[in-house]
Amino acid sequence: MTADPGPVVCDLPETGPSPDPVLELRHITKRFPGVLANDDVSIAVAPGEVLALLGENGAGKSTLMNVAYGLLAPDAGEVLVDGRVVSVRAPRDAIALGIGMVHQHFMLVEPLTVTENIVLGGEPTSAFGVIDRDVARRRVVELSDRYGLKVEPDARVRDLSVGRQQRVEILKALYRDARILILDEPTAVLTPQEVNELFDIVRELVSEGLAVVIITHKLEEVMAFSDRIVVMRAGRVVGETVPSACDEQSLARMMVGRDVVLRVEKSPHQPGSPLLEVMNLSVLDDRKLPAVRDVSLVVRAGEVVGIAGVDGNGQRELVEAIMGLRRPTQGTITLKGRDITHDNPRRTIAAGVSHVPEDRHRRGLVLDFDLVENVALGDHRRPPFSRYGILDRAKLEQEARRRIAEYDVRTPDEHVAAANLSGGNQQKLVLARELGRDPDVLIAAQPTRGLDVGAIEFVHRRILAERDCGKGVLLVSMELEEVMSLSDRILVMYEGRVVAEFEGGAVTEEELGVFMTGGGRPGAEALGSEGTDA
Amino acid sequence: MRARMPDAVRDSSADPDARREAAEHRFAAEQERVRRAISVATPFISVAIAVLVGSLVILAAGKDPVAAFSAMFRGSFGGVRQIGETLLRATPLVFTGLAVAYGFRSGLFNIGAEGQLFMGGMAAAWVGVMVAGLPWAVSVPVILVAAGLAGAAWAFLPALMKARIGAHEVITTMMFSYIGRYLVSWIIAGPFKDKGAIPQTPMLPGTSQLPRLSDVFTFIEPNRAHLGIVLGVIAAFVVWWILKYTVLGFEARAVGFNPTAAQTGGISVAATTVKSLCISGTLAGLAGAVEVMGVHHRLFDQFSSGFGFTGIAVALLAKNNPIGVIAAAVLFGALSAGAGTMQLDADVSQKVISIIQGVIIFLVGAEMIVTWAVGRLRDRKGGDDAAQ
Amino acid sequence: MLLSDIITPELFASAVRLATPIALAAVGASICERSGVVNIAMEGLMLIAAFSGTAVALLSGSTWLGVLAAVVASMAFASLHAWASINLRADQVISGTAINILALGTTGYLMETVFGHPGTTDPVRTIRPVFDFPSGGSGALATVWTWVDTVLFSYTPIVYFGMFAAVFLTWALYRTRWGLRLRSLGEHPRAADTVGIDVYRGRWSAVLASGFMAGLAGANLTLEQVGSFTEGMTNGRGFIALAAMIFGRWVPGGGYLAALLFGFADALQLKLQIFSDVIDIPPQFFLMLPYVLTVVVLAGVVGRAVAPAAVGKPYKAKG
Repeated sequence: MTADPGPVVCDLPETGPSPDPVLELRHITKRFPGVLANDDVSIAVAPGEVLALLGENGAGKSTLMNVAYGLLAPDAGEVLVDGRVVSVRAPRDAIALGIGMVHQHFMLVEPLTVTENIVLGGEPTSAFGVIDRDVARRRVVELSDRYGLKVEPDARVRDLSVGRQQRVEILKALYRDARILILDEPTAVLTPQEVNELFDIVRELVSEGLAVVIITHKLEEVMAFSDRIVVMRAGRVVGETVPSACDEQSLARMMVGRDVVLRVEKSPHQPGSPLLEVMNLSVLDDRKLPAVRDVSLVVRAGEVVGIAGVDGNGQRELVEAIMGLRRPTQGTITLKGRDITHDNPRRTIAAGVSHVPEDRHRRGLVLDFDLVENVALGDHRRPPFSRYGILDRAKLEQEARRRIAEYDVRTPDEHVAAANLSGGNQQKLVLARELGRDPDVLIAAQPTRGLDVGAIEFVHRRILAERDCGKGVLLVSMELEEVMSLSDRILVMYEGRVVAEFEGGAVTEEELGVFMTGGGRPGAEALGSEGTDA
Repeated sequence: MRARMPDAVRDSSADPDARREAAEHRFAAEQERVRRAISVATPFISVAIAVLVGSLVILAAGKDPVAAFSAMFRGSFGGVRQIGETLLRATPLVFTGLAVAYGFRSGLFNIGAEGQLFMGGMAAAWVGVMVAGLPWAVSVPVILVAAGLAGAAWAFLPALMKARIGAHEVITTMMFSYIGRYLVSWIIAGPFKDKGAIPQTPMLPGTSQLPRLSDVFTFIEPNRAHLGIVLGVIAAFVVWWILKYTVLGFEARAVGFNPTAAQTGGISVAATTVKSLCISGTLAGLAGAVEVMGVHHRLFDQFSSGFGFTGIAVALLAKNNPIGVIAAAVLFGALSAGAGTMQLDADVSQKVISIIQGVIIFLVGAEMIVTWAVGRLRDRKGGDDAAQ
Repeated sequence: MLLSDIITPELFASAVRLATPIALAAVGASICERSGVVNIAMEGLMLIAAFSGTAVALLSGSTWLGVLAAVVASMAFASLHAWASINLRADQVISGTAINILALGTTGYLMETVFGHPGTTDPVRTIRPVFDFPSGGSGALATVWTWVDTVLFSYTPIVYFGMFAAVFLTWALYRTRWGLRLRSLGEHPRAADTVGIDVYRGRWSAVLASGFMAGLAGANLTLEQVGSFTEGMTNGRGFIALAAMIFGRWVPGGGYLAALLFGFADALQLKLQIFSDVIDIPPQFFLMLPYVLTVVVLAGVVGRAVAPAAVGKPYKAKG
C-alpha cells in the first residue's frame, strides 16, 4: 500500500463510533471569518479508549476540541456527554461535566507555584475564602503519587522544564476529576523518551477508565499509541480507522489529501570554508540566569548545522546572541573571520547573517505593516531602498513584488497588512525578506512551526537550496524529524551546553533524545545536576 | 508540489487547498476593506455621539441644546471674524495634535505635551525678546528653533527613562508637565518678570511676532487668525512626509506597531523611542511658540487653555493621521471659539466642550463600539452570501 | 533652631494625612492592575469623587452622605472604564485618559451649573478625627504622649480605613481564593478562563474596587482635609499614586508605604515654606517637589519592578 493516489477517503475500513461513548460531538460546524474551521464534524470517544485526532496544522482539530471544552461556541452541532445533550458555554461547564484539556500552549500561571496552579479555580478553602494551603498541598501530593506524576508542589511553574509543566497540566485536569482528557499536540515539546513516559501515563489513565483524545499530526505516535484514529483535513473528517488497519503512508495520504514525500532529497555533504564561528559563548536569559554556557560551533559554507534540544535549553538565547539581539557575557562570534560579537542587529544583518525567527508574529513580521514594508524591514537603511534617510518607495514596491512572486507568497496584492496572510504565506514572506537579501549565513529557528505540509515542503526546499549554493545554515528546531532530515551535522543542546555532535544520518531519534535530556555520556550526570541549581 | 504549480492548483476548484486559499484571499481583502471603512467611519460617528451626549448634558441642565449648538456654530463659523477665531484656536491644536499623533505612531503616549508646550512658550518669550533688533526673517526662525528645542529638551528625560529603564511615559511626561508649569510660574514671577504687578514676561518686539493673516493679505476682513495656522499646515505635511517617506518615520512606525519585530529587523528601539518622543516634544514646543508669537506676544500663567490635553483628543480623532490632525484641530478650534457665544447667547457653561472632548476620546479609543456595529451589519450580509 | 522646629509630631501626622489620598488610590490601582487592567483614570475618579462628595455634602447637609456620593460617583465612572476596557477591549490607557478629561469637564460644568460660578465651592463641615484624647500635663511622659497621640490617634476615619485596607488587601492577595484568582487574571487570563474563572467578572470587580478606593480618596481630600472643592484640585495625585503603586510593586501595602514617602515629602515642603524668610527658595520649587520626587522614584525603581504580565492587554473570552 504505497504510492496509490486513488480515492483516499474510502480505502480504509470504517469502524464507526464505539459503543457507549462518554463524549460525543455531533455535526459540529464552526466558521471563522473567511474560514470554515469545522464543517459538520462528528466524533465520539469511549471510556478506556485513546482516540487520536490526526490532521495537519490548520485542519480544525484544535477548533473542534476547543468547542468541546467551551472555549469556542459552535455555529451548529451539539455536544453529548454520557449520551445526553449538554450545553458547554464556558470551560467551567466542561469541567463540571468531567472534561479536562491540556492545551498546546500550556495554561499555567508562571509566577505561581505548582500547587497554586493545580488548585486554581477549585481552591480548598477554610472560612471566608482563605485558602487551606495544607489541604491543597496534600491533595496535589496524593494525586501525583496515585498516577505516578512526580512534581514538586512548592516549586514555581516558571522554574520547571516543559515536561514537568505538562505533568502539572495533566494534574490540573485530574484534580478536577476529569473523565475525559483532551491532549492538544502533547508531544510537540517532548523528547522521544519523554513521549514514551507520557504515553505510559496515558495508558495508566485509560486503564483507570478515562477517555483520552490526543490531537496530533505525528503519524508514528498515532500508530504506536492510539486505539482509534480519526483523520481531519480542511475542517472535515476524512476518515476513521484503527492502527492495525492502516500504515503511515496511507494515513499521510489521508491527512494531506495527496501523496507525501516523507523524506527530503539531499545532495551529498560538501562543506566549504567556515562562515560562522562561535567560540566559548555564554549568554544570560531574561531573568539574568545562565542560558548559554560556553558554546562553540562552526557553520561552514554549503552545510546545514542542526541544533536539537528541548525548548528552553538555551537555543533561543544562542540565536539572539548571534543576531546581536542579546549581549553575550563571554566568547566571540565571527563571520568569515570578522568579529561580530558586539555588533547590533542592523550590523549583523548587513554583515550577511539572515534570521528566520521562531515566532513570526512577535519577531518575524510587523503584522500591521503591509507586505512592502515588511520586505523592507532590515534593509530599509541601505541603498537602493533608501538614500540619505529617505525611502525610495518605488524601488521598495518593485522589489517587494519581485520577491512576492519568487517566493510564491499568495496575496491579493502587496499592500495588504501581513496580518491578513495565512501562516504559511507569512512564513514565505519572512523567507522572501531574509533570503532575498542574499546572506552568507541563514539562522532558521523553528522555521516550520505551525505550517501545513505544503508550506513545510517549501521551506525545507528553500533551506536546502541555500545550502546547495554555498550558504551556511544554522537550523534550530524542536522537530527531531526536521533536524535529522535537513542537517549535515547535528548538535544537541542541553542546559545551555552543546552536549553531543553527530554527522547527519549517523544517529537515531532515540539517541538524540537521550542527549536532549542530559544522559548519554560519561559526565552527563554532573552536567545535569549543575544545571538544575540555576 | 503545490508551491510550484500555483495555477494548476488554483484552477481545480474541487481541491480544498485551493478553496481555502481563495477564501483566505477574500478574507484578506475583506479585512482590509473593513479596517479602512471603520477607520474612516469611527471619527464621524464619535463626533456625532459626542454632540448627542453634549446635548443631553445641556438638556439635563434645563437649557436648549439646539440653541446652544447653533450659537456655537455662529460663534465659530458665522463670519470672517468668527472663522478667524476658530483658526486662531485651532493653531496650537494642530501642533499639539501632531505632537501626540507622532508619539502614538511610535507607540508612545505623550500625555505631557502641555509641559513641553509651556517650555516652548517660555523659550519663545525669552528668545523673542533677546533677538530684538534682528530682521523678522531671521528672528522668527530662530525663535521657532529655540522653542522646538526647548520642547524636545523637556521630553528628553522622560524619553531616556522610557528607553533605558522602561519608566512609563504617561507618568513621567505628566510629572514633567507639572514641573514645567511651576518652572514657568516662577520665571514669569521672578527672573523674567515684566515691569508692573502682573506676573508676565515683557512684550515681544514686532519682529518677533507672527503677523495676522489679515495684515499680510489685506483683502481679508480683519480677524485674529495669524501666520501660525499656515506654519501648522506646513508642519502637518512635513510630519506626514517624515512618517511615510523617511527612514526615521519608518522606524518610528515599526517600533510603534511591534518593537520586538523592529528590533529583530535591526532597528534600535531605545534610540527610536528617544527620537520619537523628542520630535513629539518639538512639535508641542512649537505650539507654545506660535501661541506666544501669534496671540499674546508674551508669556503668562494661563496662556494655554490645556492645548496639550486637547491635542490628545485631536490626535485620536484624526486617527493619528497628520493631515487628519488639521481637520480635527479645526473642529476643536471651532468648539472652543464658539463656546463663548454659546455661554452668552444660550447660557450654557463652556465647560460642556470638555465633556464633548472626553466623550470623543472615549469613543475613538473604544473603536469596538463602531467595529461592533459594522460587524453586526456585515454578519447579516455574510449570512445572505451563505444562503445563496 | 531649625531642626527641632521642623521635626515635630505634627510633621509625621501631616505626612500620613497628605499621603492618604495617594495611598488609597495606590492601593486601589494595585488591585486593578493585578487583575490586568491599567487604571490611569485614578486622577479623574478622585476628582469626580471630590466634587460629588462636596456637592452632596453641601446640598444635603450630611457629610457622610457626601462620602457615600463620592464613592458612588467614582464607581459609576470606573464602570465606564471597565466597560470600555473589558467588554469593548478598548485601549485601557486611552479609556483612562478619556475619563480624566471627562472628569475635568464634568466637574467644571456641574460646578457652574449647580453652584453658578467656577473655581471653589463654599466650605463644608469636615469629618472629625476618630479619637479625641486629652493632652496630658507636662514633662517627658507628656512629650511621649503627644508624639503617640499625634502620630497614631489624630486621624479621621478614612485615614484609618486606608491603613486597614492596605494591610488587609495585602494579606488577602496572597492568602485567599480571591487573591489567587486576581493574580492569575493579571498574569495569564486565558489560563484562569480555562479553569472556569470568569475573567470579565473578575476584572470588573477589580476596576470597581479601584473606583471605590478612588472615591474614598476624593472624599478624604475634600471632606476630611480641605473642606471644599476646587476645580482640578487633585493636581496629579492620581498619577503620583500610580508611581507609588509601581514603587510598591503592585502590592497594596507596598503602594501604601510608597505613598507615605510622597506624603512625607509634601508635609516637609509645606513645613519648609513657613521658613521662607530663613531659606530663600521660591515657593514654586517647593510645589514641584512631589513631582520631582515621583520622577526620581521612577528612575530609581522601575527597571527592577515587574508589572503583571497581562496588564493592559484586553482579553477576548470566546471566539
